[in-house]
Amino acid sequence: MMHSDKITVTRREALKTGLAAGALIGGTRLALADDTLAEIKKRGELMTATEMQFPPFDISDNGVYKGLDRDLVDAVAKEMGVKASYLDLPWTSVLPGLEAKKFDLCIAPVTITKERMKRYAFTVPIADATAALMKRANDASIMKPEDIAGRTVGGQKGTSQVEQLKAFAAKLSKPVEVKEYVDNNQSYADLAAGRIDASVNSLPNLAYAAQQRSDTFAVVLPAFGQPTYFSWVARLDDKSLIDAINAAILKVEADGTMAKIQKTWFGQTMDLPKTVPEPSI
Amino acid sequence: MKPEVILHSFGYLTQAAGVTIAVSLAGIVIGFVIGALVCASRVSRRAWLARLGGAYVSVFRGVPLLVQLLFIYYFLAEFGLDVPAIVAAVGGLALSSAAYQAEILRGALNAVPRGQAEAAVALGFAGSDIWRRVLLPQALRISIPPLINEFILLLKASSLVSVVGIAELTRVSMNIASLTYRPLEAYVGGGLFYLAINLALAGFGALAERRLAADGAR
Repeated sequence: MMHSDKITVTRREALKTGLAAGALIGGTRLALADDTLAEIKKRGELMTATEMQFPPFDISDNGVYKGLDRDLVDAVAKEMGVKASYLDLPWTSVLPGLEAKKFDLCIAPVTITKERMKRYAFTVPIADATAALMKRANDASIMKPEDIAGRTVGGQKGTSQVEQLKAFAAKLSKPVEVKEYVDNNQSYADLAAGRIDASVNSLPNLAYAAQQRSDTFAVVLPAFGQPTYFSWVARLDDKSLIDAINAAILKVEADGTMAKIQKTWFGQTMDLPKTVPEPSI
Repeated sequence: MKPEVILHSFGYLTQAAGVTIAVSLAGIVIGFVIGALVCASRVSRRAWLARLGGAYVSVFRGVPLLVQLLFIYYFLAEFGLDVPAIVAAVGGLALSSAAYQAEILRGALNAVPRGQAEAAVALGFAGSDIWRRVLLPQALRISIPPLINEFILLLKASSLVSVVGIAELTRVSMNIASLTYRPLEAYVGGGLFYLAINLALAGFGALAERRLAADGAR
């Protein structure tokens, strides 16, 4: 009896050693809760990830990462005295990657919602995320958001903008057919091809798209959604990291850097809440 | 259609095509080695080895490659095993392709007529020589068309490794589509690169078949 017990223990230990060895080879980051900030400082590097297919926030231009998020996170990292690194992941992999500790901070703009607040720690807002519509530039039948009654509208699956669209559509005189896509670019492509009548997304995204292809697209004003905001997110237990990022964002806003970045990517400046707002959706 | 979108992004696409080729090639080569071992264990007379080989094929052919990649990259991290993205990508491709390659090799071995081994025994060949000089050369020749098929499938399936953050050809085409708001041009560009790579692979397969056929006739 004694003997077999001993073997069991040895085996378990062997397994542990094996796992630890494997972890070492992989360059382990067995971070305990809330010491992420200390680790970032030690490493000298803030590891971030986003999907680089979300202009004007995240773009990969011939392999070079650009956009509002890039400029802002560089400024924030500078405030924190570290350098930022960026990983390009499909949106469906970004939040799982954050939870699996593959990086420290998700700099993909995430709309603040009640549901998401339970699972992730949000920074103070980095941009307006209010849902709006975009139509074909030559389509005179849609002049205000209510004109989509009885038409087909596309958007990116799983986004809060699509949820807002559904809530808005429910109040219209005729039902709206909502087509959900893997990403916004497919929705834009179908809009250009005439398969749908409008695309839903946040106002900054649409304004940029319409500006880039003004021959094809036009924004339908005003934005129809409840006022909502984009933030970056960290793991729920990384309180000190969120505090440090927030302090840096507010500093960047106060010294005018934020306004300069907004001017570059939105063509205009906008005021943002100084605290994480209570989500309206 | 604006062809200059493709021209503007040509360098970016070329670089991404390089990533696709490198990841796929590593997956194919490592997959072939594992596949050969799995095939050997499947045709083994030891029942437990044969069963182990069978189980490998069932699991890695039965679970979608996308799920395998997500498992390696994200799920193993739950146990503190931080697999780097490139290792997860190549490992996922290799492990999955090995299951298919093992079956291709087993099929090819089975396709060599029984009489060949019997004749070799009758002619006094030693056991290892029967494998080395009679069965394997014939099996290899039979396996080339389906192996090239598998390589081409793997190359196209390599678009899935973008889920672990590898910027390969499909991913980069999507990046270009979102940057330029011109999806048609971006995907035509990416598609042309895939076509060129796969034509080269098919050409290599035809060449290998001809060479081996000549060897057989000698």
